[in-house]
Amino acid sequence: MDTFFSDWYYLSIRNIKLIWRPLMALLPPFFMPIFFFAVNSLSLSALAKVPGFPDVSYKDFIAPVAMFTAIFFSAGNAGIELVQDIQSGYFKKLIIMPINRLAIVLAKLTEVAVQALGQGLVMLILLLLWGVHFKTGFLGILTIFAILVIFAMAWSCISMIFALRTQNARLVQSMFILVFPLLYLTTSQAPKSLLPHTFGVITSYNPVTYIIEGIRTLTINGWGGPDVGYAFLAAGGMFVVFVIITMLSFRKALK
Amino acid sequence: MGSKNTSIIQVKNLTKTYPGGTEAVRGITFSVKDGEFYGFLGPNGAGKTTTINMLVNLVKKTSGSVIIDGLKLEDNLDEIYKRVGFAMQEVGLDEVATAREMMQLHGRLYHMSKTDIDTQVAKLLKLVELEKVADKFTSTYSGGMRRRFDLALSLIHKPKILFLDEPTQGLDPHARQLIWAHLRQLNKEGMTIFLTTHFMDEAQELCDRIEIMDKGKIVTEGSPEELMKKHNAKNMEEVFLKTTGSNLGNEEVNANAPDPFTRSRQRG
Repeated sequence: MDTFFSDWYYLSIRNIKLIWRPLMALLPPFFMPIFFFAVNSLSLSALAKVPGFPDVSYKDFIAPVAMFTAIFFSAGNAGIELVQDIQSGYFKKLIIMPINRLAIVLAKLTEVAVQALGQGLVMLILLLLWGVHFKTGFLGILTIFAILVIFAMAWSCISMIFALRTQNARLVQSMFILVFPLLYLTTSQAPKSLLPHTFGVITSYNPVTYIIEGIRTLTINGWGGPDVGYAFLAAGGMFVVFVIITMLSFRKALK
Repeated sequence: MGSKNTSIIQVKNLTKTYPGGTEAVRGITFSVKDGEFYGFLGPNGAGKTTTINMLVNLVKKTSGSVIIDGLKLEDNLDEIYKRVGFAMQEVGLDEVATAREMMQLHGRLYHMSKTDIDTQVAKLLKLVELEKVADKFTSTYSGGMRRRFDLALSLIHKPKILFLDEPTQGLDPHARQLIWAHLRQLNKEGMTIFLTTHFMDEAQELCDRIEIMDKGKIVTEGSPEELMKKHNAKNMEEVFLKTTGSNLGNEEVNANAPDPFTRSRQRG
């Protein structure tokens, strides 16, 4: 057991270094969320005056989406890094060491969690500078981070499953396209009450909707209501399911 | 120092049949003595890489038994991994780590003490003459430096047995000579070395004993001198040509066999 934790720790340190190596790799995940936040909050600000829209600025309304998107775009990198390790032969080196296989997967998830925290923090600072107000204060922000980190790990598991099943960087990279339907078939741009009925029904089947709604509630409404619980359920449910599938894919790859 | 009377690797009736029916390895039996420099030769597609991968369980054997240092392979993997080092055909380095970082990480993953790691890192970097670039990213290394570093990395935990899968592939004569010198030194210090190679001069130069494999079977075995005498040949290349056929067809078949991690073409 001692060696399990030390394996996990040292592999995590190695993986965490991948976040800023090369340094330039830190920038792209911020570009899209900042771009969309800036464009949407400026061009769609009139939406906040439409009857049925919550009594907040459009900027505050979509701020949670910006935080979520920053993490969404980068969490998939775990799969790409895994494919790179597989294709270079480095993964084989790990496999023929006396280390716990679970530590390899957990170290990847640790990297994702650290990256999500770091990127979330940068986005938070940018949003605060932009004048976004978080109604639930420090505790609410901590809760938002908890939801985001769980989701980031779940999403990274999906990319690792792709990586282990296909062992092909292009296919894993192409997973990026899933981000858009998952992000836009939600209430990210407007409240459900203002969406066409069919679109509203579709959003209710998308787990990302519940995560965004949970974060949004903490940002603009407060602690009341079930939305925060649903967000944890959606992110946690995805995490449990996809960690299990990742471990099964890992075992299959080893066979 | 190993005792050259005891077998450190014992392989009996080892076979590998890939899904689809390709028989890459067909019931081979051999043993390697402790401290021996053992050469495993064969044309492309002969089954060398599959065999060496089976010896460290990177490829699951279909049948047969493998005993490494007295331990049955499938029951003692972690213990065996502590005792073997493996420099593979693909030099799998962490491109965004420095050589020193990689060695330190591997030392930690072999659960060595910090003092031990520091001593080994200094010793091995000196051995492969990479001290000056130890703190540079491995992505900046030339092919020869990468091979030498990979060799050093496979030695970090002081293995008893070193598996080398074509360690001088793609290197210029200077780099090859340098690797040969390192390998001779390691063997002299008592390490058992299991080498697969395409280069007959390399095998003749380094190995105490050689087995030649063709189409999944061992076709001849002995010291370089014995083999040359037995096959009435001037050198190992002639022995090789006399004992093996063109394997292009076989190579084609093996190329369809899946590699568990790289899905690269099967070689050797």
